[in-house]
Amino acid sequence: MTMNFEQFKEKLLMYGADIRCWPKDISSSALKALDSSPELKKLVEDEKRFEGVLKTRKYEEPSRDLAGRIVAASLPKKKKTQRNFGVFFSEILSEFSLSRRTFAAISVSLIFTLIIGFTIGYSNPSGYVSTEQYETHLEDFLNYEGDIL
Amino acid sequence: METKFFNLDDESLICQIQEGSHDAFSALVNRHSNRFYRMAYRLVSSKDDAEDIVQEAFLKLWDRPNLWNPGKGAKFTTWFYRVVINLSLDHRKKKKLMRLPEDIEFADENPDAEVLLDVHQKQAVLERFIQDLPERQQLAVNLCFYEGLSNNEAAQIIGVKVKALQSLVMRAKTTLKYNVKQYLGGGSR
Repeated sequence: MTMNFEQFKEKLLMYGADIRCWPKDISSSALKALDSSPELKKLVEDEKRFEGVLKTRKYEEPSRDLAGRIVAASLPKKKKTQRNFGVFFSEILSEFSLSRRTFAAISVSLIFTLIIGFTIGYSNPSGYVSTEQYETHLEDFLNYEGDIL
Repeated sequence: METKFFNLDDESLICQIQEGSHDAFSALVNRHSNRFYRMAYRLVSSKDDAEDIVQEAFLKLWDRPNLWNPGKGAKFTTWFYRVVINLSLDHRKKKKLMRLPEDIEFADENPDAEVLLDVHQKQAVLERFIQDLPERQQLAVNLCFYEGLSNNEAAQIIGVKVKALQSLVMRAKTTLKYNVKQYLGGGSR
C-alpha cells in the first residue's frame, strides 16, 4: 500500500515521529514513502522538534517513600474495621509466636484458675457479712456525729 | 513483605487483597504507585496534590477491594487509571489551577522569542496550552504521548472507540503544534 502526503501527515500525528513504532502493517509503506520524499522528511523532522518541545513539560518525581506512605496509611484503617475478639486473639497469638496447642493449654489453665478462685471465694466464711451486722454499721453511719468537713 | 507476591499478576493480587491480604496490597502499591502518580501529576500539576490523589485512590481500593470486578473484563490498571483520573479531575474542579498572568508577552512576531522566554516560563506556557485543551483531548495526549499507552488501552480508559481516540490525539496535537509554533517556535503546523 502506498501512502500519500496527507495520509502520512495524519499517521504522523497519530503515532508520533518514530516511524518504527507505528503499527507493523503501515510502518513499512511509510518508510518507503519517506525514503523517496524530501517533503515527508521535513515533516518528520518538524514533528520530532515538536515532540522535543512537548517533552520539556514540567514534571516532578514523587517522594521516594510514596508507596511506603500509602501502605502505612492503610494499616490503621483496616484494623479499625476488623477489630473484634477473634482478630484480637489471633493478633496476640501471632505477636507471641505461640503454637495453637500452647495457646490452648494456657487458656485451659486460666479457666481452671478462675473456677478455683470462684469456688474459694464463695465458700470463704470470713468474707460473709450478716444482715444484722450490715444494719448495725448502717445505723452507726447514720448516727455519726463526728467532725463535719 | 512476602516475596511470593512479587511474582503474582495484578489481578491475582487484587483477589488476595479481597481476601484481606495486606502484603498483596503492599506489593500492588509498590508496583504501581509511581505510574499512577505520573498520571495524576499530569492532570493537577502539583506534586503534593498528585501524591494525595494516588494515596486516596489506593486507600479506596484497600477499603473496598470489591469495587474492581474481574468479571467486567477490564485490566486492573485500566480500571485504576480511571479511578485516578476521576479523582484528579474532581480535585481540579475544586481547586482552580493557577493561571498564567494575562500580561505575559508572547513574542509571536519576535524571532528571539525562544531566548526571551526562560525555561520555567516556557514550561508554564506549555502547561497552559495543554490545560486549555478540552478534557478528553488532554487525557488522550497524557495517556498516549506522556504515558506511552497503546491507543487501545487509552481508548478503554477514556471510554471511547479507538478511532475516536485517534481523532482526539490528532486534534490535540494539531492545536498544541499551532500554539507552540506561535509562541515558542517549535515546529510548524
